[in-house]
Amino acid sequence: MKVNGFFPRWIALCLTILSAVTLASCGADHPSNLLPQDDEDQRIVNLFSPMEKTDPDAENTARSAADLTVAMAEDKLGVTVAYRTYTAEDYQDKSYDDVALERARSDMDDLYLLNPDIILKLGMEGKLLDLSDIDSAKNLRDIIRIANTVDGKLVAIPQEVVAYGLFVNKGMFDQYGLALPETPEDFLECCRVFKENGIETPVGANRWWLETFVLAQAYADLYNGGNTEAEIAALNSGEARYSDYMRPGFEFLKELMDRGYIDAEKASVSEAIEGEGPDFLAQKTPIVMAYWGAANTETAYGKTDFEMQVIGFPSSRGQMPVMPMTGLAVGAEAAHKEDALQVLNVMLSDEALQIYSETNRVISPSKNVKVDCVPALKPLNDRIEEGIYVLGSNAGMRVEQWGNTCLIVRELLAGASVEECMAAFDRLQDETLAK
Amino acid sequence: MNHEPNKQNNRKGLLLSIVLIFCILGTFVYAISRKISREMSDSAIQSLSESLDLIECTIEAILRSEAEFQVLIAQKIAQTEDPEAYIQAYEKNRTMSKISLILSGKTEGVSNSGERFTAEDLDFSAGGTVMGLPVSQSYVNYMGTWSYTIKCPVVRDGQEIGVLYAEYIYDAIDQSLPDGFYNKQATLYIMDAESERFVLKPEGMGMRSAGHLNLADFYRANSIQDPDIQTEVDECLKSGRNILFYHDIRKEKALNYMWAVNGGTVYLVGYVPLEAIQHEGRSINQNIFVVVASMLVAFLLCIFLYYCNWQQQEKFREEQELERRIHSQQLSEALQAAQIASESKTMFLSNMSHDIRTPMNAVLGFTTLLARDAEDAAKVREYTKKITSSGQHLLSLINDILDVSKIESGKVALNLEKFSLNDVVASVDAIIQPMAKAKGQTLHIDVNGVRHESLLGDETRINQILINLLSNAVKYTPEEGHIWFRIIGLKQRSSQYERIRIEVEDDGYGMTPEYLETIFDAFTRAENSTTNKVQGTGLGMAITKSIVELMGGTIEVTSEVNRGSLFCVELELRILEDQTDRQFWEKHGIRRILALIGSQECRENIRALVTDAGLEVETAGSLEEALRLLPEGDFQLALLDWEAFDGVQTARDIRKAVPSSPILFLAEYDADGIEKALKNGRAGVLTKPFFLSAFRQKVEELWSGAETPESQQDASLEGLRFLAAEDNEINAEILAELLSMEGAGCEIVENGQLAVERFQQSAEGEFDAILMDVQMPVMNGHDASRAIRALSREDAGRIPIIAMTANAFAEDEKAALAAGMDAHVAKPLDLGLLKKVISQCRKDAHI
Repeated sequence: MKVNGFFPRWIALCLTILSAVTLASCGADHPSNLLPQDDEDQRIVNLFSPMEKTDPDAENTARSAADLTVAMAEDKLGVTVAYRTYTAEDYQDKSYDDVALERARSDMDDLYLLNPDIILKLGMEGKLLDLSDIDSAKNLRDIIRIANTVDGKLVAIPQEVVAYGLFVNKGMFDQYGLALPETPEDFLECCRVFKENGIETPVGANRWWLETFVLAQAYADLYNGGNTEAEIAALNSGEARYSDYMRPGFEFLKELMDRGYIDAEKASVSEAIEGEGPDFLAQKTPIVMAYWGAANTETAYGKTDFEMQVIGFPSSRGQMPVMPMTGLAVGAEAAHKEDALQVLNVMLSDEALQIYSETNRVISPSKNVKVDCVPALKPLNDRIEEGIYVLGSNAGMRVEQWGNTCLIVRELLAGASVEECMAAFDRLQDETLAK
Repeated sequence: MNHEPNKQNNRKGLLLSIVLIFCILGTFVYAISRKISREMSDSAIQSLSESLDLIECTIEAILRSEAEFQVLIAQKIAQTEDPEAYIQAYEKNRTMSKISLILSGKTEGVSNSGERFTAEDLDFSAGGTVMGLPVSQSYVNYMGTWSYTIKCPVVRDGQEIGVLYAEYIYDAIDQSLPDGFYNKQATLYIMDAESERFVLKPEGMGMRSAGHLNLADFYRANSIQDPDIQTEVDECLKSGRNILFYHDIRKEKALNYMWAVNGGTVYLVGYVPLEAIQHEGRSINQNIFVVVASMLVAFLLCIFLYYCNWQQQEKFREEQELERRIHSQQLSEALQAAQIASESKTMFLSNMSHDIRTPMNAVLGFTTLLARDAEDAAKVREYTKKITSSGQHLLSLINDILDVSKIESGKVALNLEKFSLNDVVASVDAIIQPMAKAKGQTLHIDVNGVRHESLLGDETRINQILINLLSNAVKYTPEEGHIWFRIIGLKQRSSQYERIRIEVEDDGYGMTPEYLETIFDAFTRAENSTTNKVQGTGLGMAITKSIVELMGGTIEVTSEVNRGSLFCVELELRILEDQTDRQFWEKHGIRRILALIGSQECRENIRALVTDAGLEVETAGSLEEALRLLPEGDFQLALLDWEAFDGVQTARDIRKAVPSSPILFLAEYDADGIEKALKNGRAGVLTKPFFLSAFRQKVEELWSGAETPESQQDASLEGLRFLAAEDNEINAEILAELLSMEGAGCEIVENGQLAVERFQQSAEGEFDAILMDVQMPVMNGHDASRAIRALSREDAGRIPIIAMTANAFAEDEKAALAAGMDAHVAKPLDLGLLKKVISQCRKDAHI
């Protein structure tokens, strides 16, 4: 009887509590203004950055890493960062760099993610703010500081040190008994073997990144020979000619095209990764070139069905990573300049870069942040750790390298001779030094 | 009895009804939920359409205002003298990023950005207009942002003098659009219809990390690959119609839209997750679900409560029913028991009447005959013998009745004392053997496996049990029948207790199963044509069972009519070790004996008992074996089974082999021809069964050289003088007569007080003992005894005082001893017993 008596009491208690809670929920106070009150003083910072095409089935790790740091800045500062972007539909469209240049010149946005040639151009035009005074700049590696300083101003700071390398299908090299190439001769031999074994185009290329081959061969000695400053000074004064440095790389590239190891026609109209990526992933092409982050993200080469390795470009000094410097910059006349600087300060803080580097598995520009890389990147990382690399862009050189070389390589792809290309370099050097 | 299936059917019906109600309710709720969903979906589509209409109208309003403003500028330019100067002086602003003029007849013009302007890069081929003014396709302008140009003719005096081109950027539209809709879950792009390029993603419209390039990219990124949908969309784009369709975006159902603006030159493209559209519908459905679930829970709760209550009532009803049944059963049983008791007591009284009247009739009848034939000594002796027999029967009848009365009232206490199984068997044998012999029956006594004879227990009650069982066996076994009396040692549960089973078996009349059920009930007695001649009170078995249970034992019986009965009693009795055993044998120089025994079982039993006593024993199953062992065995004693061998001859042969060693014959009671064998050297008789204590006693007798006849132990009362306190004159007279027959003198006083006074006055040694009744007027026997013992006379402490009372229970004996008396003799007087007691008391008092 005692046990049976428990149930009614228990049920009565539950019903009482339920009734009380239900009644309590009915008694909400209504404010006099029924509309939710928005924060009228919403601070907005416009960020212009490229946007890779969205793949519904893949995670864009690189994008996620940047988003995390943006979210951190929003949380800490109470600002909203609005994304502005542009993507070229095809090669006939304006490029991202073109649009970024125009937008920065027109003060359309506050923050910009810029390629090295644009950084140099805008820096020289005085369209970018000097970032030397922000706290995060104090933690930068020297190489970053040097590569992004224009006329004594630190005009851009990257969230990662971008290193370009050759992405190779190790399985295919093993299949034909080939060692990974160290020198241009090795590379040509590998291409020959692949070609003879029915691989139509051993090297997948696009219209953007072929200059990495050229730059690797051009500046392998300059950056690793122990006389860098003097050689750059000679180039800036006109005593040395860029064409002399560039010639071996262009000749090598020309040979690759002539022998059919690179499909020049296709490369000249291909966007990065979109053009050559599918063949590489399908194991029809054993070699492509790309940046470090492509090895980490599924939208590029982060998920392959074969063993992939990333090595440096062939040069007289062996495998050579090429490191251009993209960077975040603040417009000199930006509408929300102060907020943009604060956002940038947070995005480049050690805390944010740690998250960025861990998410994206890249080399951090901060000397305080160290992250292990994925196994595929180890050969490239080892060279960088040894201090052996070539800068793809250097604001210390009067003649901008990354963008100009790219454009002149496109001319080579379009059928120009090596001599014509060298003449273009000479012309460019003369015009620049004349200013 | 037919109610159970009906009840089950009712329950099934109820359950089905509940399930049916729930099904109907569920269907109803589902239908309502679907209806609400549909209505809310329609409403949401309408709401989305209205939102898109609003955005469309906003954009069109902007375009119109731009066109109107441009027309005004064109009119202004027409009025100016130098239109190109006007344009060059026109200040740039955020909305109109560039304004240019190409005068008629020229291919180049000027713009407010300062550079030369041509219309070559502008594409008006799509035919889009705003207020009749052509609108170009969208393009990325010099500011790096998407823009469009409207051209407007500049007319002066009815003649077109040039064309005004004004470039507008889409970012300007963004400023006039809402900051997201559907709680910022809706995605929206502005698309140039001709190029299908996405030219603007307004602030707050969709995921900020998603940036789509064009319609194809939108399809790819959102997996809109259905050709039918794409075709439908293409047709809509061509005709400038709107389209809404359902399609899952990232695994969530979404409503996708293409909404024409400005007659289809620009489209609003995007999607809204259905969850965002049907937020209210979902919320209402959830609330309905909660209400229905609550009602369901409440309903189930009610059913549960009803069930609990019903079960409780059912349980209560069942309990009541059970209680009523038990009560009825108890009443019925009580009535039956009362009837049985009444019948039993009626029968008992009838039996008692018969049983008491029968010996009483004999007493009175023979008394009459005695009075008549007083002169004839032979007849007097015969009559008195019969009167004595009848009196003894009456006495046993009364004793039994009193026993039952005491046992039933729980007043029986066991008198635990040391006793020997040997004594018990011997005394029972002495009583039962004559009865059995008288009926020509054979009584077999067998003791096996008993390791300890000296035990602690109530010997009197054990005797009572055995005599009850055995006397019944004798009574209910016809002449020439057989009775077996066995004591079997069982496996001990504790080393301190001897566990024995007593079996009494006969091949007599047996009992019916019905009678077996009531055999241990009081006042029942087996009666049939064969046994109704048997005298009995019908109390013996009830007393026996009560005593056994009082001792913590069990009693069982099995029986079959005309086949006999078997009673089994199991008892556990505390062991009392006799430490003097080894010394006894050493004292008499006995170390080794030879036992010539017929039965193997008996041999083993004797071997075990004798070995335990510290003696070595050799057993032989044949005379030859015994004769082989004897010469070299150094035996101090031979034990010979009389019945198993030709006793006399075997005794002779043994005697020849050991001329000097004593021989003990193990023989049945009253064995034939044994006297002859006893004359042949040192020999004695040990009555079966073999007990170590009896064996010791016989050895003692043999070694001391003489056996004291029991008769010699009886003491004569001749010449003694007694003081007797007895208030009953008849009893006093009988006592005086009996004592005088024995040659003793007796002085009678009427109460205890007088007895005390008389003893006080007597000279020392005047009385040899005091016989004291207990229940007397003035002073009872106990007080008198205490008073006597308290006297200062020297002999007051040692003169034997013997209680003679009708209070015959053990408690009475204890009380008498406690009052200072030396012994207790129950009435009616047994002269033999009285003589023995007096003799023992005098011996103890050294008189």
